[in-house]
Amino acid sequence: MFATIDDVIQRFAKLQYITGRTIATVVYLAAEMKKPILVEGPAGVGKTELAKVLAGALGQDLIRLQCYEGLDEAKALYEWEYAKQLLYTQILKDKISEVLGSARSLREAVDRIAHEDDVFFSDRFILPRPLLRAISAEKPCVLLIDEIDKSDTEFEAFLLEVLSDFQVSVPELGTIKARHVPLVVLTSNNAREMSDALKRRCLHLFIDFPDRAQELEIVRLKVPGVSERLAADVVSVVHRIRKLDLKKAPSISETLDWARALTLLNVKTLDEQLVSETLSTILKYEGDIRKAQQELKEYVELQRAKLKAPRAQSDKDVLH
Amino acid sequence: MDAKLVEFSNLLRQNGLRVSLAESMDMLRALDVVGLPDRQTVRATLRATMVKRSVDLPTFETLFDLFFSGLADAIKELTAATASALEMSEEEFQRFLEELKKRLEEAGTELSPLARALLEADSGRLEKLLREAAEQAGLGDIQHGFQEGRFAHAVAQALGLSGLSMELARLKELLAGLSPADARRLEAYLDRRFQDLADMVKSLVRGELQRQDVTRGDQQRLQALAEKSFYYLSEEEIRRMQEAVTKLARRLRNVVSIRRKRARRGKFDSNDTLRKNLQYGGVPFRIVFDRKRKEKPQVMVLCDVSDSVRNVSRFMLQFVYSLQDLYSKVRSFIFVAEVGEITRLFQERDINAAIDAALHGEVINVYAHSDFGRAFKAFHRDFLPAVNKRTTVIILGDGRNNYNLPHDWVLKDVQQRAKQVIWLNPENKMTWGFGDSEMDRYAPYCTLVEECRNLNQLYHVIDRLVAV
Repeated sequence: MFATIDDVIQRFAKLQYITGRTIATVVYLAAEMKKPILVEGPAGVGKTELAKVLAGALGQDLIRLQCYEGLDEAKALYEWEYAKQLLYTQILKDKISEVLGSARSLREAVDRIAHEDDVFFSDRFILPRPLLRAISAEKPCVLLIDEIDKSDTEFEAFLLEVLSDFQVSVPELGTIKARHVPLVVLTSNNAREMSDALKRRCLHLFIDFPDRAQELEIVRLKVPGVSERLAADVVSVVHRIRKLDLKKAPSISETLDWARALTLLNVKTLDEQLVSETLSTILKYEGDIRKAQQELKEYVELQRAKLKAPRAQSDKDVLH
Repeated sequence: MDAKLVEFSNLLRQNGLRVSLAESMDMLRALDVVGLPDRQTVRATLRATMVKRSVDLPTFETLFDLFFSGLADAIKELTAATASALEMSEEEFQRFLEELKKRLEEAGTELSPLARALLEADSGRLEKLLREAAEQAGLGDIQHGFQEGRFAHAVAQALGLSGLSMELARLKELLAGLSPADARRLEAYLDRRFQDLADMVKSLVRGELQRQDVTRGDQQRLQALAEKSFYYLSEEEIRRMQEAVTKLARRLRNVVSIRRKRARRGKFDSNDTLRKNLQYGGVPFRIVFDRKRKEKPQVMVLCDVSDSVRNVSRFMLQFVYSLQDLYSKVRSFIFVAEVGEITRLFQERDINAAIDAALHGEVINVYAHSDFGRAFKAFHRDFLPAVNKRTTVIILGDGRNNYNLPHDWVLKDVQQRAKQVIWLNPENKMTWGFGDSEMDRYAPYCTLVEECRNLNQLYHVIDRLVAV
């Protein structure tokens, strides 16, 4: 696992994921205490990415379970491969009638079939879904349960059971116990409040948008070839826009997209026209774009005034 | 330290955070794992183990600052201020302290622990001494701002401030043998430090007072709120109420999603399964379940925004907004003497802007005298076709009609077409039917008539609404 909290920061940085001490502390704690992490925060701050990087940093496999409304055990845990079982019985028809051939009564035939039924309910015909895969994995792994808030309350209760003792019972096969307790990361967009019972079992981590310096660092790291000036411009514009009252605030990934797009266009500094032309890369609603344009007009004017100010000063100096 | 942490988790509980015993134990275990390296790590650890709802984060941050740093930071700040007042850089100050220490040893003066900690600027030991004195003086009992002076005095006594001043006076006598510049500097240092200690005591007392305030006040306020009528609310309380309504909507959403799912699951359909599997020679390859048709609730809300219900209408509209967020088929209307549809408005704008627009006459004239009869008639004319047997009609209003014609036949028509009609009245039940209230005429045509003036009553109504 990790040696210290700083070790977390460094190993994450190697995988191009910039974290503050807060996040690193929680990750370190989760690894040490073998507790799941429940990550909350606005869309696009890198909640899912955290799990991926965590798996990468530990050199473990990532198993992902995407939640949605109506997700049930069959989709999350395991399912019998019904079609395959049928196919096998069809193909093995001859063999089956051979077995049954010498049976004198119906009862005896049924008994014989019953005797053989574990052939059809064995590992061969079970279809493991993410949860079972995580539990029965040979090597330790990271289990990502994404957007848990989208699932139903019943599923949450079921998950609680799995997360508390990491074992699953399949009636036909018996109880399967985890060889290694996987490191679990749950993410939530807070579409609904999770139950207290689930929260109690998890470490809670709230990730907000990064501050300016941190986001600048991220942009520099993830967009090679971006000019220093442009990166600073992009980040400060995005931070301004996030303060507005928008339907959907631009996420980090959108900041990166924008910086990439502008770099591709070979832009060195932002100007008003360029911004309004490319604003659609960070804002996805018409109303939001309109609001942002208004705001940016003021911003660009402010910048221009700032640029002009020292020149006026020097003019004055000349006059004197 | 453990006792202090447990006290902190109690403080969180008193401020409305739900910290279970298991979580407190987790917190102690987690601190065992990380140790106490620095403030930020400790903060992150406590946060991760005890704060499980993001709405509680600001409360936690405030309490953490109040509880853990106050004093230590104040002591460090004061020391730094002294150093800069004596015009010394940090290094110079350190050198000065060492020199002082050496000189005191040479002179062979016995110093009290307090004087030593103070003069050597040992913040850890100072904090400990201050806390001990605070405990001795019973600082935990402080309740009001005007007691600050009294308790500061008591703490100073317990600390032995008078003894200290004598000690410092004695030290000044030792200065005789120094060069004038050194002597002046040392004297200034001694005076300042004495003043600093008084300030430390003050900030200790103030910090404790703030802590007590937070501990007592909030909880009572929240509890009182649920029982309080919508009519009398301050700005702060309105904000809290908004949070509560949002929570309510979330709860509602949960209930609805289960119901929908149960309805969708359906039973095994043997006929369809056979038909579908004819192509596989009758082997049931594909299993078919009958799907029940999802019945999405359709809601039409009529909200009175006249002057008589002015204070309530904001909350009623908030409720309408949440409702519209929740169900896909909600049409909302406001009325005074005329009816205006606000569905689009509520979809396009965010909650506060939308409510403001509705209340300030952008949709209908809100300064007219309320006339339920006329408004109902207009609704009958324009929107009745939209009401069908799956529609729930919710009317929010006090039924005070200014002695106009009530036109209760409209409600009868609506009731016949609709699945149910619910009337929520912010007025006290006792006053219904008196004066210009027409509730007695309207009530017979409603499936459910409820008094709804505060959150508890709203909870009640919502439970019934989902259950229907």
